[in-house]
Amino acid sequence: MDPFSSPPLSGSAEGPSNEVVMDKVKQQLAQAYAEEFFRTVRDKCFTKCVTKPSTSLSGSESSCISRCVERYIEATGIISRAVITSLPR
Amino acid sequence: MDASHASELQYFLEQEKQKAVLNELVGKLTDVCWDKCITGTPGSKFSSGESSCLTNCAQRFLETSSLILRRFQSLQQ
Repeated sequence: MDPFSSPPLSGSAEGPSNEVVMDKVKQQLAQAYAEEFFRTVRDKCFTKCVTKPSTSLSGSESSCISRCVERYIEATGIISRAVITSLPR
Repeated sequence: MDASHASELQYFLEQEKQKAVLNELVGKLTDVCWDKCITGTPGSKFSSGESSCLTNCAQRFLETSSLILRRFQSLQQ
């Protein structure tokens, strides 16, 4: 369903207001980013933690996966800060 | 849509595009630097070696990028 086709919440008869459009765009960008991040963490942590797949995830595999998710999020923050502080003024 | 509404949207899209470019860079760098720096099983926190490796990796990558760009530019002269 086209998110812009519902009746405008506000704004003129020509369509949704800028604010509605901008909110929708931000929402969709955030959603796309979250999906991409999920896929990356899933792939990285499966690779790291499930080295010999068996008939179920062991306790150590599960806790490795939890720690891996936390560390990857932390790594993203470290890299993010390094990039931002390196940006030209 | 009048001109001021169009230019407000244009400015907004330009901002969002720049944010997306930055997010993509951070995402790619985290991917690459994670592989280089986190060689063992993830622990409950990073060792100081691991966290400095991550920072160094990001900085060296950006330096490499500038170096290569300058190299290309001098090749074109």
